Amino acid sequence: MKAAAFDYIRPKSLGEATHLLAANEDARVIAGGQTLVPMMAMRLARPTLLVDIAHIDGLSGIADCGSFVTFGAMTRQAQAEKSALVRTRLPLLAAALPWVGHTPTRNRGTIGGSVANADPAAEIPLVLVTLEGSICWTSVSGQGEIAAVELFSGPMSTEMPAGAILTEVRFPVWEGPGIGVGFHEASARRSDFAYVATAAQVQLDRMGRCVRCSIGIGGALAFPQRLPRASKALEGTHLTAQDIASALSSEIAALEIMTDGHASAAYRRRVAGALAARALTDARNQAQGAHV
Amino acid sequence: MNAPSKFTFVSSDRRVREDRRFVAGQGRYVADITEAGMLHVAIVHAPHTAARIVSFDATRALAMPGVVAVVEGGELSEGVEPLMNGLDTPKVQRYPLAIKYVRYHGEWVAAVVAQTRAEAEDAAECVDVIYETLPHVIDTEEAYKPGSPPVHPAHGSNVLLDRTFNWGDIDGDFAACDHNLSLRVTWGRSSTVPIETFGVVAMWDPWSETLDVRASIQMPKYADQIARALRLPGNGVRVHYDIDVGGSYGVKRGIKHTVLAGYLAMKLKQPVRLIEDRLENMESGDAHGPDRIFDIDVAFSKDGVVRSMKMRAMDNAGAYAGRAPFQLGKPIGAIVGPYRINSVRYQAVSVTSNKAVQEAVRGFGQSPTNYAIETMMDRVAEFVGLDRVEIRRRNFIRHDEFPYLIPSGTRYDSGDYHVVVDKVMKHVDWDSLVAERDRLRATGLYAGIGISACLEPSGGNSSFEPLLNTANTTTTWMESCRINVDALGHITVTIHTTSSGQGHETLASTVIGEVLEIDPDSIRIVRTDSLTSLPGNSPVGSRMAVMLGGSCFHAANKLKTKMVAIAAKNLGCDVNGVDYSGGAFRARASDKKLSWLDLVTIAHRNYHLLPEGFEPGLEATNVYQVPTGNELPTADGRVQMYPCHSFEFHCILVTIDPDTGKVDLRRYVIGHDCGTVINPHIVKGMTLGGIAHGIGAALLEEFVYDSEGQMLAQSFMDYLLPSSHEVPEVEIVHHCTPSPFTVMGQKGSGESGYLGAPAAISGAVNDAVRTLGIRFNKLPMRMTAISDAIADAKSSTANAR
Repeated sequence: MKAAAFDYIRPKSLGEATHLLAANEDARVIAGGQTLVPMMAMRLARPTLLVDIAHIDGLSGIADCGSFVTFGAMTRQAQAEKSALVRTRLPLLAAALPWVGHTPTRNRGTIGGSVANADPAAEIPLVLVTLEGSICWTSVSGQGEIAAVELFSGPMSTEMPAGAILTEVRFPVWEGPGIGVGFHEASARRSDFAYVATAAQVQLDRMGRCVRCSIGIGGALAFPQRLPRASKALEGTHLTAQDIASALSSEIAALEIMTDGHASAAYRRRVAGALAARALTDARNQAQGAHV
Repeated sequence: MNAPSKFTFVSSDRRVREDRRFVAGQGRYVADITEAGMLHVAIVHAPHTAARIVSFDATRALAMPGVVAVVEGGELSEGVEPLMNGLDTPKVQRYPLAIKYVRYHGEWVAAVVAQTRAEAEDAAECVDVIYETLPHVIDTEEAYKPGSPPVHPAHGSNVLLDRTFNWGDIDGDFAACDHNLSLRVTWGRSSTVPIETFGVVAMWDPWSETLDVRASIQMPKYADQIARALRLPGNGVRVHYDIDVGGSYGVKRGIKHTVLAGYLAMKLKQPVRLIEDRLENMESGDAHGPDRIFDIDVAFSKDGVVRSMKMRAMDNAGAYAGRAPFQLGKPIGAIVGPYRINSVRYQAVSVTSNKAVQEAVRGFGQSPTNYAIETMMDRVAEFVGLDRVEIRRRNFIRHDEFPYLIPSGTRYDSGDYHVVVDKVMKHVDWDSLVAERDRLRATGLYAGIGISACLEPSGGNSSFEPLLNTANTTTTWMESCRINVDALGHITVTIHTTSSGQGHETLASTVIGEVLEIDPDSIRIVRTDSLTSLPGNSPVGSRMAVMLGGSCFHAANKLKTKMVAIAAKNLGCDVNGVDYSGGAFRARASDKKLSWLDLVTIAHRNYHLLPEGFEPGLEATNVYQVPTGNELPTADGRVQMYPCHSFEFHCILVTIDPDTGKVDLRRYVIGHDCGTVINPHIVKGMTLGGIAHGIGAALLEEFVYDSEGQMLAQSFMDYLLPSSHEVPEVEIVHHCTPSPFTVMGQKGSGESGYLGAPAAISGAVNDAVRTLGIRFNKLPMRMTAISDAIADAKSSTANAR
């Protein structure tokens, strides 16, 4: 378990980093290294050059931009977990963060690294997709923004251009009263890779009617996905158990579910439905509480 | 405790002295050792499940930076003897490296030696081996069939062992019973997986012709086996016992690693270090545990009294025999559990397959056997409509029946099973536990109560060796202690084995302090090496409280007797006239006194004051033979296995999430009786750790193979150990039934918790899903499989409507 030989460079600027990546197609960006380093130790990843972005100014920090909260790519997960801004403005992310690895991995692991790594079971990408957020990237040839629902293309793969560095992760903020969230996971042990993860955020009016709803599923699929039809169908309802069940059933039945030695496709589909319902129920209950 | 302690230090709330250095990060493990000029080894692994090695070419590897040598099986087999085989199966030969054939995925094919481990790994990738794949067999029952692809063609079949024992009138008892039933349970291949993988540093000194070995080892006869394999005299190997071992519970027996490293060190005349990485530890460290199918027929009366049992235990040993088949033998010493079962037929079957090799795991086959027996008791209870606790009460051996001879020849030392159960029932408040289960069921969860009652045979000997291999006549299974009092009066105790966390220093100092009536913290404990040590058999078979404790006790008494004799002469009285108290000597008649230091001075400096015939100095040695078990087996296969039998009774409450299938341990209570407790913290730690290990075996851990022989659980991502999140608060209810066979009434506790937890968890899960008409008969019970089975049961019920 010794990594194959590699070079390591710690650039001070984004320009320097992007040039290094452009010049070497076997180069990899390292942020927190909580996935990449074990993969390298097992020689399952063999980059010839590691570009460590930890010392680039301006790549870390959390900022409230009004309609969204932005995270510098290097922002540690633990920092987000402790952030009052995250708690008040992004309650769904706050609910998901304790499920991301364990305290020691959250101390090193970054928000941007988790998104760029695109593990199908990862919680941060699921929340990003559910809230319809986006990421920003920079490369030698320019910069751009990609919507989360367009970003993920398969297990451990994204639509980021080759040689690009993910610089920013943007989570939309829902304004107004009556917002509630729910987050559920099925995994063999607490904080293991999820067989299924579900996230839901809803907004209720004073009558208890759902005015806005978003549901996402992770773990069971090649990459996290939002359920747009169910989300839409639940708007205008009171999110009763029956409303939830009927909104979810056909869209979950149509999902392309993964299978592996740990959990069958049937398991993941069944549990995706059950946990999505739980997430929505929690979200509704929390939203009702928020009006009291 | 049920009785006031008659001891001063034993059983008292004293801290564990080893903990101080471990907590401060000052343990000294094999990976902490560096020697000048030390070389590092990486392994070339077989990429096939079964194959012939067609060609081997290390040219490219040898040209890589830092590479010193590449050794393959052909060369090695010229230089070393085959590794020890437990059974009499001479054609099943095992070497550290594959010879001509590879027999499991990951098997070691070659060793690459380089200046650094990274360089060795780089070069290992450049060793060119061409293979021709061969048919393989993975499934246990498939391997047992005649005509299955033989793992060792020269042996003729895959059957290593197939022996049936008949103890008592089985057929008569079955005929006399109202009922019988059959069941099958399967114990999945799991193990103990220590955080520290196995490691060894071997160093050859050509001037003294000695091989120095420092290893992360927990193994009897280790030095002997190294010497024999490397064709060295016994005094040509020096195993150092002063190395901390970072976890073991049986599996730290890297004999193949050691023989390979020793060979390389002798060949290259440089120190060689071989430390398994996690992938090697998981796939090819040869450290998996039992992998076993139990088929049981049980005969019982209509009121639930079990009279006879037929059990077939079929174990998948993997590609080589090693010592693993003996794990079918040790449970013979407690084959009826805590019950009065009159007769037993036991068929022990061990087969080879193209899986990795097994090693000893905590309990040496006892926990799987206990799981089978306890599942059987639950089934009988269900059949006759009796409460699961009541049926156990009806079948327990009674307190007044001990020592109790079981059909397979072991005499249980002592026990008080009914009382332990009563104490646990009172502690949990059974009626309220049942009410809580029913309340949880009403909330929509599946909820169940599980119980298990089982034994921990302890004070290990190796009676299973002559029982399963008639060529083996071993009845000796000793442990040793030497006490030296220096000229300043301070005590140093030597113990003669490594420790993998059992707290031997605390054990030895507590027992010796107790006998000599001096503060245990003033006693220094040192570990010797194999050339300066007395004979011993290492901490296996839950034996050190009994065996090291016994040896320390006798050595201390020998020392005391010697000192009393010296005192008597100098006090002018008979030895019977001397009172010993707290390290001082007093003549009862004259009230004259001598202090500890007075005695030390006489022994070390005043030869003229010593009794006639006394050797100068002050030391005492004891080599302690295991109590009981000193006879070879009878012709019909009866033998006294271990001397002591600790008892545990688990009572737990679980819930199962109806959707995800996740099992939540809501309440965990264990009643535990290991006789006299020497240090309560050590016993508690063993029990809690054992329960955690049992939770893993029951719910999470398995070395899964696919049908092609690929091992799928190669890292902690897929081999799931319980974490602190999964282990509940455990409530321990103590009881003490001293053993009549040991010096202080102590029994073993090193396997406690693990021996009953899987059975209890299985019982609880099955209680929870009983109304669905489904059962789980295979461990581990993964949450996904539980959920799938619940969903199937629900949909078939719905269809039936």
